[in-house]
Amino acid sequence: MTKSEKKVLVIPCSGIGKVHGLIAREVAFRVVGELAPEASDTLCLALLVKGEEQARKAVRTQPCITIDGCPKLCSHKNVELAGGQIAHSVRVVDGFKDHKGARPGTATTLDEDGWTITEELAQGIAAQVRALCDGEEE
Amino acid sequence: MAEQAIKIGIISCAGEELPEGTISRLAVRRVLERLRPGQTVSICLPLFLAGAEGEREFARNYPTITIDGCDKQCAKWGTETYSGAVSAALVVTDILRDRPPLSGARSGRKLTRSDLAAVELVAARLAEALDQAAAASDVSGSVPAEMSPSCGCAVALPAGTIQVNGKTVEIAGLPLIFRQCQEDELAPDHPDTGERLLEVVRVYHVIAETEEQAYQDALAEAYRAYLASQ
Repeated sequence: MTKSEKKVLVIPCSGIGKVHGLIAREVAFRVVGELAPEASDTLCLALLVKGEEQARKAVRTQPCITIDGCPKLCSHKNVELAGGQIAHSVRVVDGFKDHKGARPGTATTLDEDGWTITEELAQGIAAQVRALCDGEEE
Repeated sequence: MAEQAIKIGIISCAGEELPEGTISRLAVRRVLERLRPGQTVSICLPLFLAGAEGEREFARNYPTITIDGCDKQCAKWGTETYSGAVSAALVVTDILRDRPPLSGARSGRKLTRSDLAAVELVAARLAEALDQAAAASDVSGSVPAEMSPSCGCAVALPAGTIQVNGKTVEIAGLPLIFRQCQEDELAPDHPDTGERLLEVVRVYHVIAETEEQAYQDALAEAYRAYLASQ
């Protein structure tokens, strides 16, 4: 897949064991699919970690926003290891700060609270994407 | 079906670029939750590829099945590179070859009935592969702790303890929180350090308002001790 050189890459961990990984994934899809499709894209984290040259080149030449569901920060660390340019590193747990007692759903499906947190994180990242693009255009 | 104790590992690509990545992830979840609960463990692929020894050791010693969204087969490649041959390697595009095309949705909220039917089909194939792997396996018994997959999403995080008002309190993930704060260059003696630590800890740990100050003090003290031990 060819990436536009100017697009911001939004790269979630997609952790499969808990709801936080699913939120990371859904946040990325909301940003690249709906909130900032013209300015952002995603790539397969597994492909990057596998070492595919095109994926490595993409993270080195385009600004990246990583989204992680757990403290192991697989997305952040793997983009960093590939020599990527991390403009922002987002942690899903930070999205829970204003939602004490939230019931976000499961690793399979999100409930209403989960979608609310997803939307808030996505709006924040979309703003970061736009700011990065504005900065590049100046 | 095998009696129990045999654990089969499943490694899914969950590729973010393609709708098949969503199908593979959901099919694994379906197997874990409904079709073969208790018989399988899911292994976090980025963590596995990045070098998590627990995951790799598990895949060396226990039957492991990979499921990939596309023919790049990142999950299979990674598993065979680091842990040896897999018991089965499924590819979503192969399984769905004779079906109508997917809608193209990647978000779970936008999947169509046809997409969900595809998930069920892939999950059924995965369950069959699990049964075959279990039947062919000569491995039995519980998985040793040191060999258990340790994805931070899937298992309890390593805990740390602090002393709050004379009581010992266990905090899930405390060492990782401290390490992250250290990487963020959070100064141990800054006046806001206790408050910042409290913000992170309370995400997973219920703290009464009346105890907030005591927690802040205890966390700041434990953080100083952590840094001193590094």
